[in-house]
Amino acid sequence: MGGAAVRLEHLSKVYPDGTRALNDITLSVKPGEFLVIIGLSGSGKSTLMRCINRLIEPSSGKVFIDDVDVTALSPEGLRQIRRQIGMIFQQFNLVKRASVLTNVLSGRLGYVPPVWSLTNYFPRDLRLQALGHLTTVGIPEKTHTRADQLSGGQQQRVGIARALMQDPKLILADEPVASLDPATSHSVLRYVEDLNRRDGITVMCSLHFLSLARRYGTRVVALKGGEIVFDGLPKEIDEARFKGIYGDEAIEVEIA
Amino acid sequence: MDPSATTPLPRAPDIPKPGGGALRVLAWLAALTLIYVYGWKVTQINLVELATKWSLAKPLLYDLIRPDLIQRYPRLQRADAGIGLDGTPSPPPEIRGEGRITVTPQTARQGDRVTVIAEGFAPSRPIEIIWRDQAGSTATVAKGTTDASGRFGTTIAVPNVIGTAHHVVAQVTLEGTTLGPSNTLRLTLFRMVETIFLALMGTTMAVIFAVPLSFLGAKNLMSRSAVSLWIYYAIRTIFNIARSIEPLIMATVFAVWVGIGPFAGVLALGVHSIASLGKLYSEQIESIDPGPIEAITATGASMLQIVRYAVVPQIVPPFIAFTIYRWDINVRLSTVIGFVGGGGLGFLLIQYINLLQWRQAATAVWAITAVVAAMDYLSSAVRERVV
Repeated sequence: MGGAAVRLEHLSKVYPDGTRALNDITLSVKPGEFLVIIGLSGSGKSTLMRCINRLIEPSSGKVFIDDVDVTALSPEGLRQIRRQIGMIFQQFNLVKRASVLTNVLSGRLGYVPPVWSLTNYFPRDLRLQALGHLTTVGIPEKTHTRADQLSGGQQQRVGIARALMQDPKLILADEPVASLDPATSHSVLRYVEDLNRRDGITVMCSLHFLSLARRYGTRVVALKGGEIVFDGLPKEIDEARFKGIYGDEAIEVEIA
Repeated sequence: MDPSATTPLPRAPDIPKPGGGALRVLAWLAALTLIYVYGWKVTQINLVELATKWSLAKPLLYDLIRPDLIQRYPRLQRADAGIGLDGTPSPPPEIRGEGRITVTPQTARQGDRVTVIAEGFAPSRPIEIIWRDQAGSTATVAKGTTDASGRFGTTIAVPNVIGTAHHVVAQVTLEGTTLGPSNTLRLTLFRMVETIFLALMGTTMAVIFAVPLSFLGAKNLMSRSAVSLWIYYAIRTIFNIARSIEPLIMATVFAVWVGIGPFAGVLALGVHSIASLGKLYSEQIESIDPGPIEAITATGASMLQIVRYAVVPQIVPPFIAFTIYRWDINVRLSTVIGFVGGGGLGFLLIQYINLLQWRQAATAVWAITAVVAAMDYLSSAVRERVV
């Protein structure tokens, strides 16, 4: 399994209220990269992520995944491409009243016949696969627990397992650790890093903490006001660049 | 310039007062006093009467603690025999007892005299010969006393009846009486079941209409275009108007419309519950978490799958909880709407009250209490499990 290449061309997003969230973004992500996107709240990180799988419709510009123009796809074609893009959310976005197993299996919905959903049916091999992914993220014993009974870190691991069910070529992680404590943040990001290194899945991950960006990213892109203000290696972000991204009054906070 | 000229004193800074001065508090107190004095007069509160005339309520309250539950019944021995009219063969007997009754001939015509012999009953006890027609109504056609061997014979004339299959019943009254549930209790239990089902049917009817309507009454779904927003406002307005009409008034209208009885109650509860459930459901839909919808959409799921996995789990448990809660309320209401012709326990209770049959009324009151308490317990137990 390999990673996908992502190419954004002159991507812009203007919300109906006039907010210009993305302004002419052009960016190319190579297969197997661990791209970290940093920037202040409201700098356009979430919008950028969601424009890639068109959870948010871009106003103009193009998105290519492995040379497929996502912005030009029909609803059916969009569903096909979304199946290959795993997504991880800040608030985990699990179905809270459903079991962990159902949540993980729901990652596979794009591949199974819709009528199966009426009885929540998934064949045996998929259920075994789900159990395998839960073992990968270290919580096989939680299979039949209700999702809302889990801690934040465990919920995010279920979120990763759900993304894994998709056999993704690309993982979009929108602030995956912003709701977690430092120790849990590292353990969650390490799972994502493993997928990136072992399976070569391309990862685009937005993060709050620069220290995490330096630790996990192979490349860092900084957004400010919907524009790219930095694109380079993690170690290249010095004091001056930091103030350029976060503003003059910002002080870097370390996360252990 | 003259240095002695007055320089303006520095103005004291405006010190903000918390919630106005003492005068305002006094004004409020005076207004409140006026309101309550008027309220006291207008509602004719009379503590003296409350204290001195309690003895008037004593018999009533006394009857309330001894509801009509059991009564004595005469002990009976019964047997029957079929008789066919106008050449029809006689039907088989329906009562099995210690005694026996024979009718000759077994086929007769109106006005014919037939011989009736009852045997095997208790000796020297009063006996009645009863004619029971095809529809089940009865009439006593002969009376007497059994002899020392428990036998009684007579001839009767076939009465002027409709139908061909009839029975002649021998009924001997034995010494002493037996205790059994009173007629009131039987009637009350029957009405109790009616009440529970009345509430169930009304609630079910409400659910069937409220579920689809609630989606139209959810702002987050309906704010996408001007047309849908108008539908939303229309639905919400209907909900609010329907909710503000008391079920009691609706029951009155429906009792005139479809006749006094439980069906009128079902309609009244149903219409009222559509509005209140619809509003509760809509608010639940409005408060669903968009996160799971986003996540399931991102996996490439179809619309049906998104609804099934991201929407349904979020709304079904609260919908069930609201529905059971509503059923619970409807059981309470159904006892009251009976007063105006909506059927159920309330209908029975108001009849007893109007006839001043306090002990019978007490039976109905306790039955209502029991049903409401049981539903209360049941609904909270179910809600705890579901949510």
